[in-house]
Amino acid sequence: MQPQELAGLVDDRPAEGVFRVHADAFRSRAVFEREMATIFEAGWCFAGLDCQLPNPHDFFTTRIGRQPVVVQRGGDGVVRAFLNACRHKGAMVCHLQHGNARTHTCHYHGWAYDSAGANVGIKLLRQGEYSPAFHAENHDLHAARCESHRGFIFVSLNHDVPPLAEHLGGMATFLDLIADQSPDGMELLPGTVTYTFRANWKFQVENTGDVYHFTSTHPSYIDVLASRKAKDGAAADTTTYARFREKELVRGSMCFGRGHSAMWGSNPTPEARPLHESLDDVAARVGEARARWMLYVRNITVFPNVQFAENASLQMRVIRPLAPDLTEMTGYCLAARGESPAARERRIRQYEEFFNPSGLATPDDTTAYEDCQAGMQAGRIDWHQGYMRGMAVVRRGGDRYAAELGITPETSAHGGFEMGDETIFHGPYRYWRDRLVAGA
Amino acid sequence: MSALPEASALLFAEAAALDECRWADWLALFTEDCLYHVPAWRDEVTPTTDPRTEISIIHCAGRAQLAERIQRITGGRSVASLPLPRTAHVVSNIMLVEEGAAALRVNSLWTSHVFNVKRQDQHVFFSRVEHRLVREADTWRIARRHALLLNDRLPTMLDIYSL
Repeated sequence: MQPQELAGLVDDRPAEGVFRVHADAFRSRAVFEREMATIFEAGWCFAGLDCQLPNPHDFFTTRIGRQPVVVQRGGDGVVRAFLNACRHKGAMVCHLQHGNARTHTCHYHGWAYDSAGANVGIKLLRQGEYSPAFHAENHDLHAARCESHRGFIFVSLNHDVPPLAEHLGGMATFLDLIADQSPDGMELLPGTVTYTFRANWKFQVENTGDVYHFTSTHPSYIDVLASRKAKDGAAADTTTYARFREKELVRGSMCFGRGHSAMWGSNPTPEARPLHESLDDVAARVGEARARWMLYVRNITVFPNVQFAENASLQMRVIRPLAPDLTEMTGYCLAARGESPAARERRIRQYEEFFNPSGLATPDDTTAYEDCQAGMQAGRIDWHQGYMRGMAVVRRGGDRYAAELGITPETSAHGGFEMGDETIFHGPYRYWRDRLVAGA
Repeated sequence: MSALPEASALLFAEAAALDECRWADWLALFTEDCLYHVPAWRDEVTPTTDPRTEISIIHCAGRAQLAERIQRITGGRSVASLPLPRTAHVVSNIMLVEEGAAALRVNSLWTSHVFNVKRQDQHVFFSRVEHRLVREADTWRIARRHALLLNDRLPTMLDIYSL
């Protein structure tokens, strides 16, 4: 596709109050290939957490875009990322989801690499009668760029990208609101659940910031909460949404440069949060405002491939696009180190019930994405009307809520729960369009 | 006399209730304080074992929580449950591994064929299931159902009718 065509996929006319995204953004193979090349494989992507690599030589494997990657802590303590492909014939050299290994030896012809990705052995090198040209080549695993913010590890297959801190910008504050929930940091709880859905990955990006869908997509979940309330009264207030109908709720959004976005809002049942038990300590450590924000509902997307949803519980979601109409998701439960056993157990039950693809809420979201993907095969409808709620109140820069956090987003909007802001999608699609147009 | 025929009959009755969407009959097979548990996996080879500190795919403590799921999938307010898939649960390799007058432990393999009518596609879930049965009012009921799902990369979703 030509740059002009790609630019035309986003109809962005703020002065006229118009924002639209073309349906080809979700259904075109050419757009998908371009996304992989220019966004996922040429820019920063989330890879994992520092706490997954506590010891020297610990590693985990993942994909950045379509490409297999090993992220490993070397013997020197430095976390690096390299392509999981032997330089000899391209075979994967690391076969496990996670583990500890001083060396990776390819099972095909026996080439070996150390935990920093350096080649430490070519089988029968001397007897190989290689040409001088071979000896002149570098035989190490291909290194990717790897940087961290507060234990959140990001990787770029393209070395020519801005530093991670510049890429994250004000979004880093929302990661801090997670990292600072315990003085000892956060941990990933054992047990991940992976699922696929037959729809474009950007439906997942949108849904996490989408306040508007909640009451119409999740009435069956809301009904379950109502039944518990009728049966158990206040004893049923064990999840964020338990008192959802009883409170006036504020909801807001912020878009940051480079595609990141955050939805936030007041929490109808803050005492249901595991963090609530240590709130005084948290406030003493991070200040009253940030402690309050930690109890807020916060659904954030660090563009393009990771989301942290802290509402019913705290979930880290990694998005892996497989095709224009197929996406793989992996969910992880993040928890504050040192919380009480009772808080931990409650966190886990909240997480499973709401976030699991076998729970009471997520299946209705993913089914809705699939319905969108199927409906978008109505090829004569190129433009949909899902990006214009909140346009009358969105402003450039930060609002007073952003000021509480001391950050300046590109745009911000806030209102009541019923506003169902959709300007949260504008920043991601503006950056998405710019990357597609600019090329790899 | 071995309780294997009775235990087998209960497992077959459970599978039939799921396949025929007889939800009240299915619920009635469980004790009030039953545990319905599907662990998640830590890695390629190790499932989680302690649901208080590790993630499960499904963890329902008590029949009331199972009833909530039935409420959700039959209430007409869950788009993921409209229409419900057609399923065929095949139960085999049934082994009685502990036998007492008041309690039994039964291992079995479950193959669940799931046809998603709306999308017109199908998949199979397979799991190793351990049932703990207890004697209650002259009949066996399920006090614990532990299903180790072996293919845990879930196509869109999974619910109690999928296992």
